[in-house]
Amino acid sequence: MSTYPKIMRTASRLGLGAAVALLLAGGAGAQEKFPSKPIEVVTHAGVGGGTDLTARMMMVQAPAALGAEFVVANKTGGSGSASLGYANSRPKDGYTIMLITQTHLLTLLQGKAGAVQPGDLIGLARATEDPQVLMVGAKSPYKTAQDFIEASKTKPMKYGTTQLGSVDHLAVAGFATKAGLAKPVVVPFRGGGDIVVNLVGGNLDAALLNYAEAESQIKAGEVRPLLVFAPTKMDSLPQTPTATEIGIPAVYSTTRGFAVLKGTPEDRIKVLEDGLIKAMQGKLFQDYLKSSGQSGGSVVGRAAWQAQIDEFFSTGKEALASLGITK
Amino acid sequence: MDAFIAGMAILTDPYMVGIILAGTVVGVVVGALPGLSGSTTAALLLPITITMTPVAGIAFLGAIYCAANFGGSITAILINTPGDPSASATAYDGYPMARNGEAGRALGISTIASAIGGIFSVFVLIVAAPLLAKAAYSFGPPEYFALAIFGLSMLAAVGASAGIRNLIMGAFGVLLATVGLDLMTGVERFTFGVAELSEGLELVPVLTGLFAISELLVQAGRLQIVPERMGLTAMRLPSMADYRKCAKAIGLSSVLGTFIGILPALGATTAALISYNETKRWSKYKDEFGKGSIEGVAGPEAANNAAVGGSMVPTLALGIPGSATTAIILAGLIVQGVRPGPHLFNEQPTLLYAVFASMLAANLIYIVLGLFGAKLFARITLIPDAILWPGVLIFAIIGAYGPNQSLVDVWVMLGFGVIGYVMRRYGFSPAPLVMGLVLGKLVEETLKQSLLIFDQNWLLFFTRPIVLTLFVVTMLGLCAPWLARAIRGGAKSARPPADAR
Repeated sequence: MSTYPKIMRTASRLGLGAAVALLLAGGAGAQEKFPSKPIEVVTHAGVGGGTDLTARMMMVQAPAALGAEFVVANKTGGSGSASLGYANSRPKDGYTIMLITQTHLLTLLQGKAGAVQPGDLIGLARATEDPQVLMVGAKSPYKTAQDFIEASKTKPMKYGTTQLGSVDHLAVAGFATKAGLAKPVVVPFRGGGDIVVNLVGGNLDAALLNYAEAESQIKAGEVRPLLVFAPTKMDSLPQTPTATEIGIPAVYSTTRGFAVLKGTPEDRIKVLEDGLIKAMQGKLFQDYLKSSGQSGGSVVGRAAWQAQIDEFFSTGKEALASLGITK
Repeated sequence: MDAFIAGMAILTDPYMVGIILAGTVVGVVVGALPGLSGSTTAALLLPITITMTPVAGIAFLGAIYCAANFGGSITAILINTPGDPSASATAYDGYPMARNGEAGRALGISTIASAIGGIFSVFVLIVAAPLLAKAAYSFGPPEYFALAIFGLSMLAAVGASAGIRNLIMGAFGVLLATVGLDLMTGVERFTFGVAELSEGLELVPVLTGLFAISELLVQAGRLQIVPERMGLTAMRLPSMADYRKCAKAIGLSSVLGTFIGILPALGATTAALISYNETKRWSKYKDEFGKGSIEGVAGPEAANNAAVGGSMVPTLALGIPGSATTAIILAGLIVQGVRPGPHLFNEQPTLLYAVFASMLAANLIYIVLGLFGAKLFARITLIPDAILWPGVLIFAIIGAYGPNQSLVDVWVMLGFGVIGYVMRRYGFSPAPLVMGLVLGKLVEETLKQSLLIFDQNWLLFFTRPIVLTLFVVTMLGLCAPWLARAIRGGAKSARPPADAR
């Protein structure tokens, strides 16, 4: 019942006076069919980036699962704050969903997202869970994770990362703390590609990257993966041990998932969750996951995804503070 | 080799040939239109390429780039108004030739010289780009820093206006490069709380504003003047005597143009101006220059098309644009999800060879267009401004909004339109500003990355051979005017009157 004024507002804004009349004539008991118009997916990534690609891969099979068209809105800028601000400016009626990454969560934690607060996010479904992998160049003297960790205890290693306060920066810092290493030197780059080149060229000692970012160099033997920060071994790297296996309880990954903002009706959240999961269980999305070295288990529903978001908020706050990024 | 054949095979695909043909026609048309240059058009049409496959999109932009440099010569010769800035040197002798009733001969040699220069540079690209890409793993932040410094040292020569004005604009561009989130500290600079600006100023809206919107404002301040057009009775292929006379000019300018193109920042306009000087210096008929010398047309036309292939070398191999237009092609590649740089040669060699093939094809297609259609293309200048410029404005707004769906980008574009207009009124060229914007960011970031890698010891720069070589070349370039004067003993420079376009 409480959704009525909202529907009317949206409808009149679109100039659909006739639709409103029809709806009223249908009687107060009639539920509007959801979804009945295109759903907008807001991402902070530019067209062609990894996150944008994830959104578009999901969209291929989503129309069949949800019975609605999807469009992507790329709102770049402010490490996700532009996309959060845009989503907040739209009606909370389920027709605007966000594809978020840890970047959004970190932006929220730093209070840089305007009116949107960390508690406003409602997870729908997780899309990708791409583990971070510790890698060194082929010319590096360190052949195994143990070699590398042993040497790192006295020598501050140079790691390539994307931006300060980014997911991989937090992971580098967390890994160093948990393994008791000397404070690492962090060299920020614009993207994973630059980091790979500098690993091969010997300008960096190590980096935490996703498998896909260095796939061709790993296959060519130019980059050596040493350690996987995942709970279990990766299918694409069966030889590489996990951090847990060598006694360091560290799990880091690049995570992407869908979310809406608080205020979206509960029944619509359920429809979206079911539809998104169904779409992402489809062959096309699963093939996409496989080709980037991820497991099909990346796709999980609302409960597990929300728990992960909450967990990240609680650990991320401390991590940012320890890096001196937030007070 | 398989990749080479697969790449060349796109020329058997009717869709691809259609795309290249369309790009070439568009390129010649906008090249011929005064005010609309190849780089502006590439920026305006960038959103359209998003809907194409990566190969088709880049082939389309590449064909525009190749053909626009030729198209500019049509109007330069017939109405003494270079249709593209790179054709400004062509007008020095092309228009006098047309006045002497030799418009057909001038256009003929311009077509052939452009094609020879263009094809030569594509072959250099095919050989040089993979070699450079192989060396790319030895290109870390210190090497990029030295390369960017080298590029900045060239800024004075980038545009068509005087050196000191170019330096002022270049410095302004470097200042603008500081807008956005600082990569090293995570601090936002000059964003004034606008989230969209935290990624820095987007290149495409800045370029569209500086080139297209400012031109629109310039045109709006003018009465519609129907320029005096030289009669063109028939297109004439150059005679054997013409070839013999121009062989040296074309050969010299092709090599020079390709080399200038490869240097970061410097593109077709600079290549054409320098080649005009050199052609004159080495010519046996110096006194013909300025009065209708056929060599004076052949030289700059070979050079500006040769610069196209040359400037694609660093763009594809290192991801550093060799000119303003390649900066847009670079943006086009990134929008398509293709990351330029050494990986391209390992991961997507077919895409590269397809780009090479399409550039070769574009150079061949405009020979045909030039020889048979020049008369038609010359009529383009008859399009009323009242139809042309509103169309440009619409494309400019769509082009600025499209990639990021951001109204901020549209405001940035309009703002830079006004800035560009004011600059041009006072004789400043926008090209150095663009290169300053691109190189400024690179200089700052790579310097800080290098210092982190070197444990803050800047002396370690001098332990890297590539860095050392680039520093020496930069110093030589900066001292070149004095060195040249010392060698020539004060011989008079052959620089033609500067065109303020």
